[in-house]
Amino acid sequence: MFCGALFTTGLRAQHPQPWNAPARFARPDLDSDEGGLWALMDRQERRLRRSPFVIRDHSLNNYVQDIACRLGGKHCPDIRVHLVRTPLFNASMAPNGMMQVWTGLMLRMENEAQLAAVLGHEIAHYLERHTLERLRDIKSASAFATFVGLFGAAGAIGQLATLAATFGFSRDQERAADRIGVLLMRKAGYDPAEAAKVWGNLLAESKARPDGGGASTLPMFATHPGAEERNETLATLAAEQPGGTTNATTWRERVRPFRSDWLREEIKLGQYEESVSLFTRMIESTPRDAELLAARGEVHRRHGGDRQFDLAVADFRAAEQIGHEPPEVHRGLGMIYRRRGASREARASLKHYLELAPQAPDAPMIRSYLEELGQ
Amino acid sequence: MRQLTMILSMLALAGCVAMAKVEKGERAIGDRLAVKIEGAWNQLDGPELGPAQTWTMEGLPIDQLLLYSGVKDGDLVHASGGDGKRKDFAFKANMQADEIVGMFEGMLTRDGSSFKLTRLEPSSFGGLSGFHFEYTLIRKVDNVVLTGVGWGAVSKGELFAMLYMAPRLAFFARHAADVERIAMSAKIRQSAQ
Amino acid sequence: MNLRLIMRALPDLLLDAGGDLAHACSTAGQWFFLSLASPLLLAVTLTCATQSAAYAQSKNLAPGFDFLPKGSTIVIMPTDIELFEISAGGVHEPKAAWSAAAAKHFRAALDARRKRLGVTTVFLSEKSADETAEINALHAAVARAISLHHFGPPSYNLPTKEGKLAWSLGEPVQKIKERAGAQYAFFSWIRDSYASGERVAAMIALALLGVGTSGGQQVGYASLVDLNSGKILWFNRLARMSGDLRDAEKARETLDALLEGFPATK
Repeated sequence: MFCGALFTTGLRAQHPQPWNAPARFARPDLDSDEGGLWALMDRQERRLRRSPFVIRDHSLNNYVQDIACRLGGKHCPDIRVHLVRTPLFNASMAPNGMMQVWTGLMLRMENEAQLAAVLGHEIAHYLERHTLERLRDIKSASAFATFVGLFGAAGAIGQLATLAATFGFSRDQERAADRIGVLLMRKAGYDPAEAAKVWGNLLAESKARPDGGGASTLPMFATHPGAEERNETLATLAAEQPGGTTNATTWRERVRPFRSDWLREEIKLGQYEESVSLFTRMIESTPRDAELLAARGEVHRRHGGDRQFDLAVADFRAAEQIGHEPPEVHRGLGMIYRRRGASREARASLKHYLELAPQAPDAPMIRSYLEELGQ
Repeated sequence: MRQLTMILSMLALAGCVAMAKVEKGERAIGDRLAVKIEGAWNQLDGPELGPAQTWTMEGLPIDQLLLYSGVKDGDLVHASGGDGKRKDFAFKANMQADEIVGMFEGMLTRDGSSFKLTRLEPSSFGGLSGFHFEYTLIRKVDNVVLTGVGWGAVSKGELFAMLYMAPRLAFFARHAADVERIAMSAKIRQSAQ
Repeated sequence: MNLRLIMRALPDLLLDAGGDLAHACSTAGQWFFLSLASPLLLAVTLTCATQSAAYAQSKNLAPGFDFLPKGSTIVIMPTDIELFEISAGGVHEPKAAWSAAAAKHFRAALDARRKRLGVTTVFLSEKSADETAEINALHAAVARAISLHHFGPPSYNLPTKEGKLAWSLGEPVQKIKERAGAQYAFFSWIRDSYASGERVAAMIALALLGVGTSGGQQVGYASLVDLNSGKILWFNRLARMSGDLRDAEKARETLDALLEGFPATK
């Protein structure tokens, strides 16, 4: 009721349907289908908690948990955030309050408000019990257990997209979650204009793919259909009452210690066009970031080819010029020079790499390349 | 029960999956690689399992020794026939050590497992100048943390390599010395016999 | 023979992240190994149990291990039991009430067995289970290996094991020993599905058309581990079409089947 009051008094614009958050959910009766799902999710959550893929850093966990809490309002005690090391864009919330955020998503957020947009959207699905609705819809159609795989501790990722296509939310549910998500964002003081950007960025990245954007291969797109329209819908919703914070600076500070890991995982995916698109967007946002330039350079280098080597060298040199560049910049340059037969430059760069990172796992290999190149 | 045994019979009939004994002594892997083993191993036999021979001591869900011999330019390092949604990893004759390791890393992480290189150094393998690497692999499907080790060399544009991985708790240490001896015993012939 | 229909006969849970059996032989390599690593492929290693009782006995026990010392303490590791109802369309729906009841019956049956054996049992706390997650995950992988290579079709056996139950988790089990204060650990895992009324009706209808469908399966394993050496002392794998954990009396029967060949105490 408190929540409802806040909504009606806090809004200046006329909303077609005022929305009140429901009361906190009680544990459902074990005999019901909801109870079954809940208990299964509890067991999944136990497994997730014990998984080596979960990030255990207290500081980062508390930060994201706080954001979820502010969005969830009185439901805060029921929401449990788990950060999972997976280099793909995904977030989900199970009916028992278990929320998962994958590091691929964290990497792609430009500020706190964008994460709040995603979390708010998922919390909206939770508050409206959409997963249970979907479950009841598909119950007679197909495998329940595979449905569970979407919201429980995910196993192989490859399957997720295929499953998601069948068991994702309906368009109506998506529209509702978008609308409610924006309300939650506003209430927590965030700028809802950031919500549209999240999907816009993701679409752009997807369109960069060689096949022109098979959007359904992204788990998040599959569970949340209609990505194209949502951009516009969200922009309209936001425009009804502009304003709010993005907390970009705080965001950058809090994720800083983890970003190089996430960048490395993204590079290792070997998805050239998407990674270039992502890193380019990030670089446009913060042009003087040596780590981002190093990442994009590395993606170009790994792809290979004369043109890509040129692009890589340009990025590496730009990173070097800015300063505090990761040692990999010099390894990257060294390997390209070596490939191109520029021995003197190769030697200089590889030496520089070893100076900066004498304990790197591949240091012995690099030393042997130096020997080959002649000292 | 009937259905399940039917499936199994199908598999057996199709010749899928049998574990065969690898006797101690000299063993040829493909045309150009030979290794010497001091104790028996178990080999996975079956159709379309990919370019590597797969051996195990404790069972496939626990440890695996992958042996590659004569992988050619453009060959995949894993079995083909995926759904096309996952990236494939092929060997290129001009690959450097770090790129070959990157290729194996890609292969091992296709399912979402997490790979971390802990060492890469030059090393002889098969009597040729090659490389040796060590890694940690967190298996996505069941969260088991594996320690991995590998050797490789390229000869006449063909890749010869050995990878061994086992759980870092108890199991890796158990057979690591054996695996190392196998790697040290490897001989790569200049041409097919 | 309609492969898809047969595939639907398997609990859908089998075809999860790790294992699409239809793919097992065509997209092998790492993918295949992962499917083998899947916790649920173990059910695929079923064979009709036709071994003689004596053979079955030695198959369940590690060489040289015949009995438990009386007065031993066994820590019961958190049992992983899931019960499902199969609806008419083949959907496996988790039944929390059943799973909860099953866990309760299982514990009661274990307790009764404990009294007969004259051993002490303790339970592992959730906190300790969290702290021993890695060794527990490793045990699950070893259990799958044993199910596949020791209780599977003979062609899957590992020649180097020479037909013996010869697996060990090694020293890392001490972590469990320290927290539980026990000499042995008992692990168990059960997946059980039951046909709903509509399902049974559908089965009958389909049977009339000559199509075979599954009424439900009970798959599981249990192991006894020596917490000093890490050796798997006893292991049994359950795979059958009968059994009922929803009912206290029948649960006892399930436990008896699961504990087949369990060592006596002396």
